[in-house]
Amino acid sequence: MEEFVTACPRNCYSTCSFRVQVEDNKIRRILPFPGNLATPEGPCIKGLSYIERIHSKDRIIHPFIRTSYGKFDQISSENALDIISSRLDHFRQTYGPTSILWYKGSGMSGLTNETGSVFWSAFGGATTTYGNLCWPAGLEAVRLTLGAVKHNVPWDLENAKTIIIWGKNPAETNIQEIAFIARAREKGCRVVVVDPVRTPSADKADILFSPRPGTDAALALAAASIIINDGLTDDSFINKHVKGYDEFRNSLKIIPEEAEKITGIPAENILELAHIIGEGKPLTILPGYGLQRHQNGGQTIRSLLALAVITGNIGKPGCGFNYANLQSYIFDAQKEPVSYYPDPQNDLPFRRTISMAKLGVDMLKTTDPHLKAAWIERGNPLLQSPDTNSVRKAFSKLEFKVVVDQFMTDTAKEADIILPAKGLFEQSDIIGSYWSPYVQFKPAIINSPGEVLPENEIYYYLAKRLKLNVSTTLLPEPGNQNIERWLTHRIKGYSDITMDDLRNGPLLAPGLQQIAWEDMKFETPSGKIELYSSEAASKWGISPLPEYVPVVHEGNRHKYPLVFLTPNKSNRIHSQFGNLNIIKDSTEGPAVEISPADALKRSISSGNKVRIFNLTGEVTSIARISNRVPAGSIVLPNGIWIGEGGGGGGGGGNFLIECAETDIGYGAAFHDNMVEIEKIC
Amino acid sequence: MAEGFIFDHNKCVNCGACGAACTLENGWSVQPREIYTYNKDALTSLPLINLSLACNHCETAVCLEGCPSSSFFRDHVTNAVIIDDSKCIGCRYCQWNCPYDAPKFDYSKRIIGKCNLCYSGLIEGRLPACTYACPTGALSYGEIPVSGNDNIFKWLPDKKLNPSLSLTGKQNVVPVRVIPENIFEPEISLSGDINSIVTGEWILVMFTFLVTLSVSSLISSLFMGKFPDILFFVSTLILAGIISLFHLGKKSRSWRAVSNLKTSPLSREIALFIIYSLLSISAVSFHLPFLMIISTFAGLIMLIIVDTVYIYADKRKKMMFHSGQTFLSGLLIVSFLTANVIPFIFIALIKLVTSVNNILTQKISSVNFSIRFLRIALLLITGISLISGLNKGDTLIISLFLTGELFDRIIFYIDFDPDNINKLIYKNITEAKDEKKRG
Repeated sequence: MEEFVTACPRNCYSTCSFRVQVEDNKIRRILPFPGNLATPEGPCIKGLSYIERIHSKDRIIHPFIRTSYGKFDQISSENALDIISSRLDHFRQTYGPTSILWYKGSGMSGLTNETGSVFWSAFGGATTTYGNLCWPAGLEAVRLTLGAVKHNVPWDLENAKTIIIWGKNPAETNIQEIAFIARAREKGCRVVVVDPVRTPSADKADILFSPRPGTDAALALAAASIIINDGLTDDSFINKHVKGYDEFRNSLKIIPEEAEKITGIPAENILELAHIIGEGKPLTILPGYGLQRHQNGGQTIRSLLALAVITGNIGKPGCGFNYANLQSYIFDAQKEPVSYYPDPQNDLPFRRTISMAKLGVDMLKTTDPHLKAAWIERGNPLLQSPDTNSVRKAFSKLEFKVVVDQFMTDTAKEADIILPAKGLFEQSDIIGSYWSPYVQFKPAIINSPGEVLPENEIYYYLAKRLKLNVSTTLLPEPGNQNIERWLTHRIKGYSDITMDDLRNGPLLAPGLQQIAWEDMKFETPSGKIELYSSEAASKWGISPLPEYVPVVHEGNRHKYPLVFLTPNKSNRIHSQFGNLNIIKDSTEGPAVEISPADALKRSISSGNKVRIFNLTGEVTSIARISNRVPAGSIVLPNGIWIGEGGGGGGGGGNFLIECAETDIGYGAAFHDNMVEIEKIC
Repeated sequence: MAEGFIFDHNKCVNCGACGAACTLENGWSVQPREIYTYNKDALTSLPLINLSLACNHCETAVCLEGCPSSSFFRDHVTNAVIIDDSKCIGCRYCQWNCPYDAPKFDYSKRIIGKCNLCYSGLIEGRLPACTYACPTGALSYGEIPVSGNDNIFKWLPDKKLNPSLSLTGKQNVVPVRVIPENIFEPEISLSGDINSIVTGEWILVMFTFLVTLSVSSLISSLFMGKFPDILFFVSTLILAGIISLFHLGKKSRSWRAVSNLKTSPLSREIALFIIYSLLSISAVSFHLPFLMIISTFAGLIMLIIVDTVYIYADKRKKMMFHSGQTFLSGLLIVSFLTANVIPFIFIALIKLVTSVNNILTQKISSVNFSIRFLRIALLLITGISLISGLNKGDTLIISLFLTGELFDRIIFYIDFDPDNINKLIYKNITEAKDEKKRG
């Protein structure tokens, strides 16, 4: 059996390295690769499931053309590409290239994805999206404050004496981090979780603080004022490295009693939290992404970050604010979140006029020209964008849709032509990680089944048909040796890393700071940590200081009394993996979790079929009563396929989520919606 | 030093990777590795503990000893206890015997599936799939440390079988800071997957009751100096034999059930059933008095062996004496049919006392109570009519009496309920909650 080292290219913190054993073009075994110090024990259940996923009988391995709604016929690649090229040409000639939406999700990362923009530039442009569904409010908050988005290496967590897991659930979404947390605890570290929900991560903690969803900034700022009043600040650190401390201190208005009313955490416990933060050095805060998917998300992250700043927990071992670590993104000319922002002039071939957070609504609004066609790759926007009904409506107005995917997703079902997407072992590529500090090479290990083509080859054949003038240096000829040559060319000039270095296994990013900001050089306008950020005010129109802005909940509180949370679970990455048998057989199926108190009020029992609804839409699900959920909130996991739940119901929570952007960074505010739930039977 | 599974609860987040890896490596259609959660309902007053468990490849392998078809073997390089797919008859006796719920019944294949320690890989130096696949290092395989710290796993069965297993982890109650209106935990009923693992009870009730009836009718006839009715006698035994087949997942392999006379009480039961049937049917058919006597002895031994099948499998070891045991019932039926009043009173008293004691000492639901009440009532009514000499030999009275004995056998299966891990967890949590209430 042959063995290769590769890495998982999903949109996930861990970006695990692992070994793959291959026999007769089949993946036989997936084993850990201890050389990656962040993921020495190997991938999670999703990584293991590639054995099934790559060879699944449900995988789309030939192009399909829609004959009538929900019905598809297999066609040859030649035919599919002929049809697509003539249709694209038609829209370009008749309405202009921006009548075509080029939508790309985060389903598969890698440098080769860039070949898409080569094609679409040569095509004459397209309409694209700006912003990002996931994390940009927090990225922008960290960038505004610290000048860059990075943190200490994951294994440094073992040096912490206090870990605050704030709105993150590593037990499900970053499993390998649990090993470092457990080891820190063995050495006497105190682990505190702040989360409305008692997550499996909270099961491993010393204390759980449970604020109401969307009120984290109030909790953080109340704690900050206690830390300052009780003299727990690191004054020499503040004097040397912080801009705007006095303004920050003077702006703190929330007293603990008021914070109790806002957050639902007793004032005495806010005092307790403040002292844990102020006294437990070195301290690392692990903020999640869920708590910034609110309309006040950016200010929330700035408020949390202020706690690490005023206590001097930046730039030292065991310290930090681990929001995201982009140190391995060494080949990007422009890093997130700045790369998400629309071009202010809007004069590039790509017209970035559609907000990721408001996809359906913005598509419907687009005129001059109206959108006529869409090309969708690496994503499942029908299910994953807010307000599914608006996306469906916008899709139905299009004359032509191409979807590139591995499975018959809810988006693929809407396509006129489906092209089969490559699997992760079928083409060489290079990926970074937003948690671990490694740059990783992902070799081609097996041949693609059927007529699967990587996107760059699809684009190559289309460019030929459309007689576009593109150099093969930018859009290589088909074949893995050509994409490797392209990669070699692509990484030149960014650092002295070569392909041969990368082939030896995961590589620590050149220039890596194991301890982020150990040099205390901050790339902010002032060169200091900016608690007071003029840019925050000028660019986004928010207060230059962190502040708590109450979230305006959609709908009528009386009619829709429950906060609707749609977090990620361990058995899927958004809408990926949940369709696999090994996942279904080994983990719990999807259900809406409701507190005993709220269930009792509505006579709902575990196992009941329920309808969840508000003004935006409705979904059905199976109820599960859970002590993990606080009264006043319900939890439906992100990424449930339409028709997946029991009794032909199901569907993702996005049916109920009104389109709204976060305060900064053009993110999607998923968690500000109110709903009601009732028993069907 | 012995090798085995080493589990650290502090790192286990119930992600399911171990079970998935096991299935992907071995191609099972049933997952032999299961993650149990103590306090699955996340009651804030108790710690929440995950435990990934498969087979512990115990030094005293009760599954292997008890298996009637000799389907288990031990690999002497790795010490793995392994089940041979081609031999298992699907009787599920190993599920009763194993205190760790390691054997899982595969409903699609109708046989048992169980962890094999990935032993062929282990011989080549590759660790069991579940251990190398664990993404946090919670589950590993290696030399078992001498001193574990398994206080928090007190609810597990004791270690008298010498399992190759080491458990560690910290006791961890997580206080929640929240105002009372947002309280997490109003009283909710505990959810518990505590279904009985004894399945197909009705088949077992019928089989054991029919053999008891057969033996007692044979002995009674002997006492009364006659041969039992041949048609009735033969059809009872044939019926018992056919019914017993329905308890097996693989009926075509039923002949294997006598492959383990050396250590399996079940194997012995079946062998004795065959011997008894052959002897007694010959004796009754050809009216051979000497063979009758030999058959009655074989029958009595068979009834004792039937009882040992359950005594052996009862992990709580509380089943040493039960009113519904076949030997006791057999004796009572004989004394009733032969109208031997003194032995009858003696045995009936034993049965009554045990039955009443069971009602008083066990937590019994109302449904169970009514059958127990009926059982006692039937014994009293028919017993009084026997002692008083009224309606002697009346078919109605005999039928009522036998119905009472059938009820007793049903009660036996209600009470015979071998522990499983989920049940142990449930009991422990219920006790802890009760203690909290009292405290």
